[in-house]
Amino acid sequence: MMISIQNVYKTYNQGLTNEVAALRDINLDVQRNEVICLKGPSGSGKSTLLSIIGCVFPPTSGAAQVAGKKLSRLPDRFLTIHRREYIGFIFQQFNLLPQLTVLDNVMLPLMVFGYPPEIRCEKAVALLERLGVEHRRHFVVSQISGGELQRVAIARALINDPPIILADEPTAHLDQKLSERFLSFMEEFKQEGKTIVMTSHDPLVVEHPCVDRVVEMMDGRTRSSCS
Amino acid sequence: MNTGLEKQRNILDYGLMSLWRRKTKNLSVLLVFALVIFLMSSFQFLTGALTDVAQQSLRLAPEITVQKMVAGRQEQIPISYGDKLQEIFGIRRVEPRVWGYHFSTTTGGNITMLGVSSFDPRLETALLHGRLPSGSSAGEVVLGQGVVRDLDLKGRRKFSFFRPELTQKTFTVTGEFKPESELLTADLMVMSIADSRDFFHISETYATDLLVTVANPAEIETIARKIAELLPDTRVVTRPQILKTYNAVFGWRSGFGSVCLLTGLAAFIILAWDKASGMTPEEKREIGILKLLGWQTSDVLAVRFYESFAVSFLALLLGCTLGYVHIAFFDGALFRPVMFGWSVITPHLHLVPVVRFGDVLLVICFTVLPYLAVTIIPAWRAASVPPDSAMR
Ligand SMILES: Nc1ncnc2c1ncn2[C@@H]1O[C@H](COP(=O)(O)OP(=O)(O)OP(=O)(O)O)[C@@H](O)[C@H]1O
Ligand SMILES: [Mg+2]
Repeated sequence: MMISIQNVYKTYNQGLTNEVAALRDINLDVQRNEVICLKGPSGSGKSTLLSIIGCVFPPTSGAAQVAGKKLSRLPDRFLTIHRREYIGFIFQQFNLLPQLTVLDNVMLPLMVFGYPPEIRCEKAVALLERLGVEHRRHFVVSQISGGELQRVAIARALINDPPIILADEPTAHLDQKLSERFLSFMEEFKQEGKTIVMTSHDPLVVEHPCVDRVVEMMDGRTRSSCS
Repeated sequence: MNTGLEKQRNILDYGLMSLWRRKTKNLSVLLVFALVIFLMSSFQFLTGALTDVAQQSLRLAPEITVQKMVAGRQEQIPISYGDKLQEIFGIRRVEPRVWGYHFSTTTGGNITMLGVSSFDPRLETALLHGRLPSGSSAGEVVLGQGVVRDLDLKGRRKFSFFRPELTQKTFTVTGEFKPESELLTADLMVMSIADSRDFFHISETYATDLLVTVANPAEIETIARKIAELLPDTRVVTRPQILKTYNAVFGWRSGFGSVCLLTGLAAFIILAWDKASGMTPEEKREIGILKLLGWQTSDVLAVRFYESFAVSFLALLLGCTLGYVHIAFFDGALFRPVMFGWSVITPHLHLVPVVRFGDVLLVICFTVLPYLAVTIIPAWRAASVPPDSAMR
């Protein structure tokens, strides 16, 4: 089991007047090499669940285990260490640093591993080549197109070769052609044995053949169904 | 390969890169910051220089000076007054001095021509070069820097002045006083008492004033009081009084206060301008993204630290260098209006900046440390919460 979530609750601002129960009693198991899509209305807790799987914060209660590690009550420092080894993030807004070059952005996760610049650069260039944006490596991120941005974002998520890829609304800002290309990349990664969890309302994603299972969410709860 | 070290190098690279990315903002911070450090370090160096001047002066100033007063004006004092003083217990020595002013027609300023009956060996340490005059009436003199400038001797050692009744007397320069002692020696021309008697035509039975040396410096004030009682028609001036006068003239206590306050205020304004609003949303987002990508809170803070350190170190270097130049080459021109008084008294006073470790440390405490704090603390706050906000 790659990801195991049992009776997980997540409450934002606990004890304050703006308390929000974002997740209530979530149970979800994801096998190694499985591709899952979380679907549900806005505010149903998809991003929150993705954050817990991605070791961004521990659940308020319940048991969460990701790549063999129990996350509940793990301090931030150790969540970070686990996150950078096992998780690659792809975000809706790409979350690239706009004034850095493509190459610098892709190398960001490697910097804290203590790789010397040559090795960082080598790895990043190889990945950019594979995604077909190698020719843009010295461009500043704010100067390249949306489709290129997304491939740069994917390259950055994969630079540490993490076993788990998390994508939050990855196609929300893309047209159909780019969305399809994104999904074909995901298909490739699935072939390579990655475990993928995405959130999306986009039927293109939800109905894509590479998605093994769609998990529907509503008001912080899950309703599983097969695709 | 040492990965810890390599990692720090990467983080340092990143910090310098992000400094460069925000170069206009950082450059303006650097300049304002350097200006603040410049003001503060100038002030520290200036106070150091003035303290030195005052200490030199104090060292050279006589312990007790006795002047005869007639109708509120100073008159020549009979040498016999000195004999009366011998009755007072605790006085080691009484020496006559003969001095007066010589008006220099070339510069329009007065030169103080001072004749002493014996040369305090401590005076030797105030010499820039040369030696003290011999006790004879050979016309040997030591000059203060102001007089050196006035006479413009260009290396010649001999020059002559007209006596009050227009006969000439020739002098030979045997040495010069150090610029550090200029507060006291600038307009001074020191010679043997025989020479000054000769120049001013003052008889052996009179002197301009009497210098009293006491056996125990702690008794200066007591003995001064006794002298005043014994010789009611004299004014008695003591070394501590002279120092008090200098302090009052410099006003450096109040000056220190006001400049410190101003500097502190200026520092506060730039810091507030730069950081009071906390961090920009972009900066917060950047921290969130870095954390999501696996950077630890400490890594993010290290970036901030390198950035702030680079800026403040450059500012410190720039500010202190300018401060030193300001004092050493421009004699603290910017502060002359603040240090009311002393520029009027010695317009040529040349200052030798004194760089003390403690002063630089004080500057660092008032500028670099607060800057590091206000840049790193908000980053620390932003970096120590879970980075989920960057996911949206
Ligand atoms: N940092 C936060 N502080 C307080 N409440 C939050 C926070 N993040 C999310 N929430 C709340 O938690 C609930 C779930 O949010 P979440 O972002 O997980 O929903 P979502 O399914 O991803 O929605 P969307 O489809 O709009 O992205 C929402 O009601 C949201 O307002
Ligand atoms: Mg969401």
